[in-house]
Amino acid sequence: MPNRLELTGITKQFPGVLANDGVSFAVKPGEIHALLGENGAGKSTLVKMIYGIMQPDAGEIRWNGQSVTVPNPKAARRLGIGMVFQHFSLFDALTVLENIALGMDAKIPSRALESRIREVMQTYGLLLDPHRTVATLSVGERQRIEIVRALLLDPQLLIMDEPTSVLTPQEVDQLFTVLRKLAAEGCSILYISHKLHEIKALCDTATILRGGKLVDTCDPKQETSRSMAEKMIGTGLRDIVKAEGRTFGPPKLVVNRLRTQKTGHFDVPVDGASFTVRAGEILGIAGVAGNGQNALLDALSGEILGDDREAITIDGLGIGTMNTTERRKRGLCAVPEERNGHAAVGDFSLSDNSVLTARDRLGMVVMGLINSGAAKTYTGKVIADFAVKALGPASTAGSLSGGNLQKYIMGREILQKPSVLVVSQPTWGVDAGAAAAIHQALVDLASAGSAIVVISQDLDELRALSDTLAVINMGRLSQARPVKDFSVEEIGLLMGGVHGATEAA
Amino acid sequence: MQFRLEKRREPSKAMLYATPVVAVLLTMVVGAIIFSLIGFDGIGAVREIFFTPLTNAYKWQDLGVKAAPLIIIGVGLSIAYRANVWNIGAEGQYVMGGLAATWIALLTYGMSGWWILPLMVVAGIAGGALYASIPALLRTRLNVNEILTSLMLTYVSVQLIYYLVRAPWKDPMGMGFPQTRRFSADALLPNIFPGTIVHAGVPIAIVVALVAWFVMSRSVFGYQMKVVGAAPHAARYGGFSENKTIWLALLVSGALAGLAGALEVSGPFQRMVPGFPTNYGFTAIIVAFLGRLNPLGVIFGGIVIAITFVGGEVAQTSIGLSNAATGVFQAMMLFFLLAGDILVRYRIRRVVPQTAEARS
Repeated sequence: MPNRLELTGITKQFPGVLANDGVSFAVKPGEIHALLGENGAGKSTLVKMIYGIMQPDAGEIRWNGQSVTVPNPKAARRLGIGMVFQHFSLFDALTVLENIALGMDAKIPSRALESRIREVMQTYGLLLDPHRTVATLSVGERQRIEIVRALLLDPQLLIMDEPTSVLTPQEVDQLFTVLRKLAAEGCSILYISHKLHEIKALCDTATILRGGKLVDTCDPKQETSRSMAEKMIGTGLRDIVKAEGRTFGPPKLVVNRLRTQKTGHFDVPVDGASFTVRAGEILGIAGVAGNGQNALLDALSGEILGDDREAITIDGLGIGTMNTTERRKRGLCAVPEERNGHAAVGDFSLSDNSVLTARDRLGMVVMGLINSGAAKTYTGKVIADFAVKALGPASTAGSLSGGNLQKYIMGREILQKPSVLVVSQPTWGVDAGAAAAIHQALVDLASAGSAIVVISQDLDELRALSDTLAVINMGRLSQARPVKDFSVEEIGLLMGGVHGATEAA
Repeated sequence: MQFRLEKRREPSKAMLYATPVVAVLLTMVVGAIIFSLIGFDGIGAVREIFFTPLTNAYKWQDLGVKAAPLIIIGVGLSIAYRANVWNIGAEGQYVMGGLAATWIALLTYGMSGWWILPLMVVAGIAGGALYASIPALLRTRLNVNEILTSLMLTYVSVQLIYYLVRAPWKDPMGMGFPQTRRFSADALLPNIFPGTIVHAGVPIAIVVALVAWFVMSRSVFGYQMKVVGAAPHAARYGGFSENKTIWLALLVSGALAGLAGALEVSGPFQRMVPGFPTNYGFTAIIVAFLGRLNPLGVIFGGIVIAITFVGGEVAQTSIGLSNAATGVFQAMMLFFLLAGDILVRYRIRRVVPQTAEARS
């Protein structure tokens, strides 16, 4: 039996980057094949060429033994290649059925389509009401629409691009069941991820890319997560060094029944969140994206002004009605999730970006004038201490890669030695090496006596980093407890909230 | 065949500063061609409009006098535009500044004292700022677009001149002409070079531009304007209030337009007349962009536009070109400038038609 898909010497050059450099591997029928690599390793480029969004500069794609060119995604679907993207293309205001109908190449009468959809859903246990509006669905349910959409075409190869990054652990298990069933029926699956334990649990083969080159094709069940991670980043992995048996100081950040107003149509406000973070403690806040994390961060940082002074206190001082500048002066720094245009200004130099948040704490302003020398010196220190790959303080923030910009932003806040630091998604889109450095810097800051709140969707990160953990769901925050007291299942149930629990039943 | 604009990774700094020069050159070339095609001496028109004012030393004083209000207003606009606050009504603020100064001049008519002129200038600044506060209030309270309100208020201000010079402020000795009295000596802007028409507004314009440059590049105020314009979200995160910035931007640009109005009415005009609004406030928009929204660049932009004004007058008499030709040249300059800016930031890519499902 020929290989389902075989790539030979695939090369793709972008201006300034060799995204794929002679990549060759093969996917057998019915195989679940992992494509593994850090951000920027060339995974996305590679699958875009398989799916016909881009064309390779050199190399051959063989499909079921035949050499093919895939000029566009429509041609890919005709061959039997389906793809589920990381970012869904769904219309919130339309129903499941309407969304699927819009994405079909062939026009199928809606009744026939509905029965086909119900059949696919039944077969694979992808339970959904075709007449529900997408806006009312959870992220996991939305992903099911995309999967159903792909399965309607009876694909022989299904490409999944980081499918679990937005799912609760329970939803991940359900997804894996579906994928295993598909594979058992002979459909090959190309599974893109950087979550190693998932790959060990699910995949038969793993192809590891680094810097556009193929590093290894291995059997993930024979490898450890650590050995694969080291192949991925190319060097030894550093563990977070966390002193055992640390004791915490007095309560530093106390949040008491904090709420925010609903602003946008699909915006989730914070609904009466209460928690305490002690000096030296890292509180993790887990939750699926879009459950009020952004509102919580903005309310803590002061971007959303509250009307209750005592809703947030630092060392007993009520700061609930203060703006960001006043809060920073009192030691509260924050890093929002969105790097470009929120945490940093792309068109500004790094030096000017330091002025954005550090000007008052580090005396960069004298009588209304900016001391650009001080800003430059500080920026140089951030670049050096956090190993930011930049030409210097004068480089624009927009010229840095996502991971490097994140290192700069984290460094800019951490080196201000805030007594309270609130960060959202501190390592989102950052490679493993940089993530380890950021994690260590957070732990060191806590060890020095700061109180830290980490809002993240990455459970592995939170379990490694946090001392205590709380879960946010639909704007409500669960009781915070020591992270060791939680099982993954329990966190998952909390992340799904009541919403998820009824659905699982 | 389809074309698409694709963002360049890092726009070239050199090209950013070269575009105004390229825009001026293109304006000359295209202008020469167009005017030749419609039966004028196109090359002569370009020579008269762009070069005669420079080669004829006698015209230099005209250049200074025309450039001064353009630079003062342009500097204010360049500050507001940096903050993404689109004050299009500088003409109205200029008029209100002129009217406020006139008011002081008429109140003090017949009096003498060194304080009269400074008081007129202060009144002019206040008048312009106050008039710009209307769009600021509407924008920050009711979220009404400042482009519309500031523009429409310009027409209100012009009507106000017409009313004032025809009724309450009309010159009793003016034989029915709709104009005010000629201001008393101490209400007139002194000339700095005896025997020329160069008044004190010219050095003031240079000082305004230098101060604005310093403030914009070194102060927290300048930083605030730039960060709110470049990334409003980041500005909020950095602790800068968007509403406060809108207020500041409109007040500063209004105040400077008002200053220009006070200087014009006490200088070249010497009285308020219905012809006081000469579109300096609108032309200064081109000046601000020609100057790359940088106060020092605005000096250059103001001089270039002043050249076209002075040259346009020359061309009217020497080759019978209509006055409107000046406007055509200025408009072409702005067009080429904005087009050039797009090409500095984006490249044009031809795209092969593709099915619509190339997602994410």
